[in-house]
Order: sequence, then C-alpha cells, then structure tokens
Amino acid sequence: MLLARVVGNIVATQKHKSLLGQRLLLCQPETFEGKPLGAPLVAIDQLGAGLHQRVNLTSDGLTARSRVNDQRSPARYVIIGVLDN
Amino acid sequence: MKLGKVIGRVTLSVACPAFKGARWLIINPSDRKTIKTLSEDMESTALSPGPSPVVYDDLGAGVGDIIGYVEGAEAAAPFKNPTPVDAINTAIIDRVFYNPFES
Repeated sequence: MLLARVVGNIVATQKHKSLLGQRLLLCQPETFEGKPLGAPLVAIDQLGAGLHQRVNLTSDGLTARSRVNDQRSPARYVIIGVLDN
Repeated sequence: MKLGKVIGRVTLSVACPAFKGARWLIINPSDRKTIKTLSEDMESTALSPGPSPVVYDDLGAGVGDIIGYVEGAEAAAPFKNPTPVDAINTAIIDRVFYNPFES
C-alpha cells in the first residue's frame, strides 16, 4: 500500500464507463516524514477523504475492480484508508 | 491512474493481430513540477525526464489533450480476449485542481 496525501482532484467527462460517478482525487505519494515521492496519482475515493488529508492507496487492480464492481475496469489506485494523524 | 499530456500518435504497420484498428498515443507523463502547468492550462513544452509511454486509446484523445492512463496488468482488463497491452488511456481530463501541501 502507498502512503499519500490528497493534493487535489480531477474532472473528466470522457472516461471508462466503470469510472462514471466515482470521486477521482489527486494524491501525492510521500514518505512517513512527509517528503513527496514521485508523480501525483489519481485515485478512486469512496471514503470522502478531504484536501491535504493523509490516505492509504492500494495499487492492486483486483481490489480496484471489486470496488467499482466491474471486472473489465482498468481502475488501479483506490483509497482504502484515511489516516487520523 | 497517472496524468500525462498527449504529444504525438503512433501508427503500427505490422502489429499483433489483437491490435487491429488500435489507436496509440505518445504521452509526456507529468511529474510534480509539470503538473502545475496542467492545472493552470499553460502550454508546457518541457519533456518530463524518463520515458514517454505509448498508450492504447479508445476514447479518442488527440494531441494536446491531458489524459489519465493506467500502466500494468490492469491495462489489459477491459479486453475480452487476452491482449498484450500494458498502458491504456482511461480518461480525458477536463480540469485538474492541484493544491500541493507545504508541511
């Protein structure tokens, strides 16, 4: 799992049908101390994470496909946890 | 999904039969620095360091569009019969809201 921080969101009307109605947040993976690592990723959020909150991302497609319940979905990153501190 | 800007297209003359009629886009992946230009709609001509992936596209993105693409085995999920694709365009992005966190 990836530790990341929510740094924005994206709007896309033209997308794969399994992503319709999903909340797409821009998350910046970072170290535990908070140093950003690599490029920001777009993750599907079903937990209502807010801006600048720290979240846990999974990069496993199997979990993502079950979250959007479409076995043909190319979804990959899903927020599976919102950290308290 | 990762963000990137479409900078070109690829046409394959000889390809795997599964790729008949496939559309391929060359992507300049955006990293922390270049993503600011995406959110402010500025024309950024700087190529990001690292490879520019070629992405399978069936949403009809053109050169200059910002897209979200997925890499890895998940990219082959939408195909009925097994297809050797490892990067696919999953969204054409209209707006990017980027507000980095300063600790």
